[in-house]
Amino acid sequence: MKILVCIKQVPDMESKFKVAASGKWYDTADLAWRMNEYDEYAVEQAVQVKEQVGGADLTVLCIGGEQVKETMKKALAMGCDRGVHVADDKAAEKEPFEIAGIIAEFARDKQFDLIFTGMQSQDRGSAQVGVLVAEMLGIPSISTIVQFAYADGRIETRRELEGGVKAVVKAMAPALVTCQLGLNTPRYPTLPNIMKAKKKELLSLPVADLLKVDARQETTKMYFPAKKGGGLVLEGELGQLADQLIQILKEKTGVLA
Amino acid sequence: MEFTREIYWNVGHGAATLVPMYLLFIIALAILVYGFRQRIAVYRQGLPLDRTDHLGERVVEMLKDVLLQKKVIHVAWPGLLHGLFFWGFFLLLIGTTLIVIQADFTDLLFDIKFLKGTFYKIFSIVLDLAGLVAIVMLGGLLFRRYVLKPEGLVTKPDDAIMHGLMLTILITGFVIEGARMAVTETGTPLAPWSPVGMAFAGLLSGAGEGTLLTIHKLTWWFHLLLAMAFIGLIPFTKFRHILTTSANYIFADRGPKGKLVSLDLENEESETFGATSLKEMTWKDIFDADACTLCKRCQDRCPAWATGKPLSPMTVVNQIGEAAFTAPDSQLIELIGKDVLWSCTTCRACQEICPAAIEHIGKIIELRRSMVLMEGEFPGDEVMAAMEATEVNGNPLGIGYATRGDWAEGLGVKTVGEDGDVDILYFVGCYASFDKRNIAVARSFIQLCQAAGVKVGILGREEKCCGEPMRKMGNEYLYQTLANENIELINAAGVKKIVTTCPHCYNTLAKDYRDLGLEVEVEPYTVFLERLINDGRLKVTAADLTCTYHDSCYLGRHNDIYDPPRALIRAAGGTVVEMERNRAEAFCCSAGGGRIMAEEKIGERINIRRVQMAQATGVGVLVSNCPFCLTMFEDGVKGAGIEESLRPRDIAEILAERIVK
Repeated sequence: MKILVCIKQVPDMESKFKVAASGKWYDTADLAWRMNEYDEYAVEQAVQVKEQVGGADLTVLCIGGEQVKETMKKALAMGCDRGVHVADDKAAEKEPFEIAGIIAEFARDKQFDLIFTGMQSQDRGSAQVGVLVAEMLGIPSISTIVQFAYADGRIETRRELEGGVKAVVKAMAPALVTCQLGLNTPRYPTLPNIMKAKKKELLSLPVADLLKVDARQETTKMYFPAKKGGGLVLEGELGQLADQLIQILKEKTGVLA
Repeated sequence: MEFTREIYWNVGHGAATLVPMYLLFIIALAILVYGFRQRIAVYRQGLPLDRTDHLGERVVEMLKDVLLQKKVIHVAWPGLLHGLFFWGFFLLLIGTTLIVIQADFTDLLFDIKFLKGTFYKIFSIVLDLAGLVAIVMLGGLLFRRYVLKPEGLVTKPDDAIMHGLMLTILITGFVIEGARMAVTETGTPLAPWSPVGMAFAGLLSGAGEGTLLTIHKLTWWFHLLLAMAFIGLIPFTKFRHILTTSANYIFADRGPKGKLVSLDLENEESETFGATSLKEMTWKDIFDADACTLCKRCQDRCPAWATGKPLSPMTVVNQIGEAAFTAPDSQLIELIGKDVLWSCTTCRACQEICPAAIEHIGKIIELRRSMVLMEGEFPGDEVMAAMEATEVNGNPLGIGYATRGDWAEGLGVKTVGEDGDVDILYFVGCYASFDKRNIAVARSFIQLCQAAGVKVGILGREEKCCGEPMRKMGNEYLYQTLANENIELINAAGVKKIVTTCPHCYNTLAKDYRDLGLEVEVEPYTVFLERLINDGRLKVTAADLTCTYHDSCYLGRHNDIYDPPRALIRAAGGTVVEMERNRAEAFCCSAGGGRIMAEEKIGERINIRRVQMAQATGVGVLVSNCPFCLTMFEDGVKGAGIEESLRPRDIAEILAERIVK
């Protein structure tokens, strides 16, 4: 059995973001990097399937510059068998159709039985890549899964819908699923696995070999939302606070009118 | 008349006495040796560990601890009972040995008698009183164990055997003496030199001489049998502590206090890290259980135990020993329990008070290491999140690393990268860098340094968590990663001295980092500031302040720094009203041992307990010296609903308010 899991390296969301000089993406200076949260669920689920069936071969794929190898090592330490690094210093400038095209081009002749991706990336958040890959490969996809079971080529998942409603969706392998929060708790890599990961195969492919599609959309501008009226924190004695509040409500609203 | 007595009076000094007596002695010794050989084989299941370096010094320490009962009497009740019992019994042992030396060697072979004249009188009264003291103290210990029954004291059949045997040996000793004196000494000038013996003689005086001789002879043989039984029983009962606890003083950890053993993570051969089974613990970990006397001093002081958590340091130590003797293949983590192992705050109260020099913390950390490094397990998801946050941003709070130096804004402090010509490098730590409450402490410290004309540099955004909480939680890999990065930075900066405001950073940099190549001098801010004040470089006005002071575990017990912080408070015009549990007996704030990253889910909250202790002093300010303590106390006063009446503060803040401009 062959499994593919696609991951992305994203900035830590606690970082201070600035818009880059290009005005089309964020500035990458001063950022700390980590694995996209949803991709961690994907890796964990892929590793669980591998452990369940035994003898599966699990490939992790990541597109980006040299620095994404750090994040790939974590996936390898979590239990992926081999890494495919699509070397692309300009990955951030590519739109979801191009990214999906790269992945699909890589996966096309590999006969993966299962492909796991995150439901979306934490930085771009398009939620398109996974489903586009499935379309390009002509296999079924199930998005936003919060539960996953696999047996003898059958996949049974639960998808998260609006308002807490869940849907049970089944498919036959080969198929692609995109993983949502709640699917599992990603494991913390053990030290022996961290050490083993250092010796696992990590193949680098130039992006030019895999990029066969053209971009279909363009980011024209990136900006922070305009600041709306800020909150107001009142401080002081309780009695005075009440008076102040009444005053403000009278002056600025009509609720006491 | 010559002041002496006939040794072997009434029992005879011929072969009919000596042969069976020495035969019994040899048998008893043989049993003792046999018993210990069996136990030594069990100790040897553990990994090797060298604890016989500096042997001469180790033996001297052992003699001090054994003969002076230093650690035992440190806790007066019931330590003094044991101490006095020990000294009484020890004198009796010396007395008996002197008798054997004279009767069976010097007199027998060379006609030399030394138990005579004034020396005999002293010998007589000393032994007489030693016996009395031993009986009274044993009575006290019996009363405590069987009548007072202190909470948590484990009483086993062993204890009954020990108390009964000791008491019978002591009383039969006096019966023998009394019977002999009733026949030979009553009314002689020697009699007053054995007052207790005379009292027993008085009790027996009604009997005729024939009866007395029979009583004497039978009791003498009975007493001898009991004494031999005592020797033979040593390895098989808690009597073994006479030898094992003494030996443990020799094998004691010689420090530095609170420095953990570094794992070799580069070794490609190792497949396991930390310990899950006895084979991965050291022989000392097994031996410690044999040295334990179940005195429960550790348990009495354990903040986890005191607040309803399942951890008793005493139980952990003994479970390891019991497994070694009964089920050597046990999985120790399951046996002891994960909640037990995660509950430890590494406050060192157990180890500091242990009269048997047992090392509790290292065992717990070894087992935690296995859970974290081999299984990726933590006490909760929040701890795993803090570990991951530290991997990404170098701090367990998960705040973007790039803002690490922002706290110093406006103070004119440069990084050592910008200007390496500094008097000290201030290793700030995560809480003083990112936590609003503790940033005030860091800023106060800078103001104090500037007032004293000390040029301070920081590492700024490049600084990473020292790794202490992660290490204590068992994550040696993350600790070493962080430590190596910090050490490389510090060494590159070429600074001569590091000062910390966090005692966890201090202990880690000053001790643990030595294994990884940091050699620069490290000092905690309390000691550093005290010197600045003493040298007249830092001037503060004394303004009235009545407060209580909390000894953090890592400045106090781990480093014995108790006086400098108090001197600083005095210099600031403060008066310290001590909490009942202060200095080496201080009660942890709950945040050590990496617990700062964990939610306290079991039992009562330790920090609330501690702020209540502070409140009980009746003062309005709780001064501490540690960012974790300050954080836990700020949280604790809210939890206890006493934030109006008790204000947690750091020493640096108190001093900074009093800087003479």
